[in-house]
Amino acid sequence: MNTEAKKVLIVDDEADVLEYLSSLLEDNGYRTLTAMNGKTGMEAARAEKPDLICLDITMPEETGVSMLRQLHDDGETASIPVIIVSGVDPRFKDFIENRRQVSPPAAYFEKPINQGEFLAAVKKTLA
Amino acid sequence: MTVFNTELNDWLGSKFLNEVPMLVAVLDAERKIIYANDRFTKKFGEWANRKWNDVLKKEDEPRAKGEIDRCYEDGISRKFEETLAHRDYLMVHAIPVLDLKGGVTHMVTMSDDITDIRTEQMECAIFFERVPSYISVIGRDFTIIKGNDNLRDTFGECVEKKCYEAYKKRDAPCEDCPAALSFMDGQEHTATHVGIDREGGETHYVVTTSPLIKGYKDCQYVVEIMTDITRFRELEAEKLEAERLAAVGQTVAGLAHTVKNILMGIEGGMYIMSSGIEKDRRDRIQKGWTMLQRNIEKVSSLVKDFLSFAKGRKPELKMVDPDDLVSEILELYTETARGIGVTLRRGETCRPGPAPLDPEGIHTCLTNLVSNAIDACQVSAAGEPTVEINAREENGALIFEVSDNGIGMDYDVKQKVFTTFFTTKGGKGTGLGLLTTYKIVQEHGGKILVDSEPGKGSIFRVVLPLERLNAMISNK
Repeated sequence: MNTEAKKVLIVDDEADVLEYLSSLLEDNGYRTLTAMNGKTGMEAARAEKPDLICLDITMPEETGVSMLRQLHDDGETASIPVIIVSGVDPRFKDFIENRRQVSPPAAYFEKPINQGEFLAAVKKTLA
Repeated sequence: MTVFNTELNDWLGSKFLNEVPMLVAVLDAERKIIYANDRFTKKFGEWANRKWNDVLKKEDEPRAKGEIDRCYEDGISRKFEETLAHRDYLMVHAIPVLDLKGGVTHMVTMSDDITDIRTEQMECAIFFERVPSYISVIGRDFTIIKGNDNLRDTFGECVEKKCYEAYKKRDAPCEDCPAALSFMDGQEHTATHVGIDREGGETHYVVTTSPLIKGYKDCQYVVEIMTDITRFRELEAEKLEAERLAAVGQTVAGLAHTVKNILMGIEGGMYIMSSGIEKDRRDRIQKGWTMLQRNIEKVSSLVKDFLSFAKGRKPELKMVDPDDLVSEILELYTETARGIGVTLRRGETCRPGPAPLDPEGIHTCLTNLVSNAIDACQVSAAGEPTVEINAREENGALIFEVSDNGIGMDYDVKQKVFTTFFTTKGGKGTGLGLLTTYKIVQEHGGKILVDSEPGKGSIFRVVLPLERLNAMISNK
């Protein structure tokens, strides 16, 4: 595997989504890490310093919103770009993009994703 | 009794008339008062040389012949009621005093002031007619002796009919007749019944039967007071329907979310499978195929739950042994539970009798509760994860209880367990199970009580009042 490859952390409570996104990203030359909730996601973000985080919103234990806030508050993780991949109502996109306390996500995707657009957004964010 | 005028002076001379506990006045042939006792004077004031009618303040009365005039005419004593000004009432005994030729020379009147009695009677009558309930008095053979206007308005003419004919168009007494109980034990009894009104519509009412002489077992009459709860029942049904519709609205939003997640899984499976085919990697093909299967199964269980929730079907009640339902669930789930290290067993039971239930509905409820309890045990640290299920009868209600020593719930979760698409199981739950359970229980006229503590476990109790179940089955 390419050691230069960018590292993407995928956080989602659905194993199938983790499997899907990591396969998709790996097939396109990225390295991936996975976490099943906001808590372990945050731990992985601190320990692994990924180049990008793909984050789900509704998860048990700690939600994506709370993880987003923690990423922002932690100096070590504040600069990591985040792409939201969520099944929640599109209205949530406006909400999350207009919050003052937290910088807006780099991109927002509603499940199920369009593979091409998703990969393009990942590429653009990591450029 | 005949009094002759020769005796009259003796009467008037004695103190006897003053001691009589009534209002006494003696009138001459012209109706003028010539004597009155202290009681009379106290009530009517000055009477000397005044006529009886004037003293009684009946000036405004039409000069029609009164009862007292008849006594003067025929010399026969009478008892009659006089209505005074200001709605006072006198019960008058008029005794004519005759001369030897039989002519009336005087009239002795002895009167009782019955104003209080009449006022109470009128209050009673107003109450009887105007109270917003149906009231009837029935005899031991269930014949209606008396009924109020309300009763007549709703059930038509009822007097002299049997109550079961009048209220229910039946030809035999009801099996659970509260009046029969009142006749038997002399106590008050209450029941909820459904009658048929004069137009053939259903009338739901709560009836209380009180023996006319309380505590007296051989009482001849029972008063039935019925409160119409038809509108209340309708509102209840409307509320349930509104809740269902609101839940359907939320459900559509929640459904979209759940479906999106499943679609994501399906697309994931397709991607992994097709990339496996492209790269000729059997492991990938297998993995993608499993993902597809799993997500398609999710769709089918979602659709099943969703339909059973949205259908809003009326419970089909039949007499069922609650313990049999418990046994069915035990049979279905004991093996599965054991497979994942959870003991499922029958809790202490006291064998409730057969009750009117929708077996399919209650089966669904118990299935949901038991599978939740098993899930809760799976994610707990309890030494011996155990789920118990039992049925019992308590305070007139049939209770199904499912308890576990699993993970338990905190306040927030407890608040949300009965809302649509709320799930703590991530992708594993549809969030419809408890909501469906709640709905079925509500349709049985019951409720679900939840007792839970984080780390200690949960108890879900389905409480079904038997009186309501019986009423529902007798309406069928």
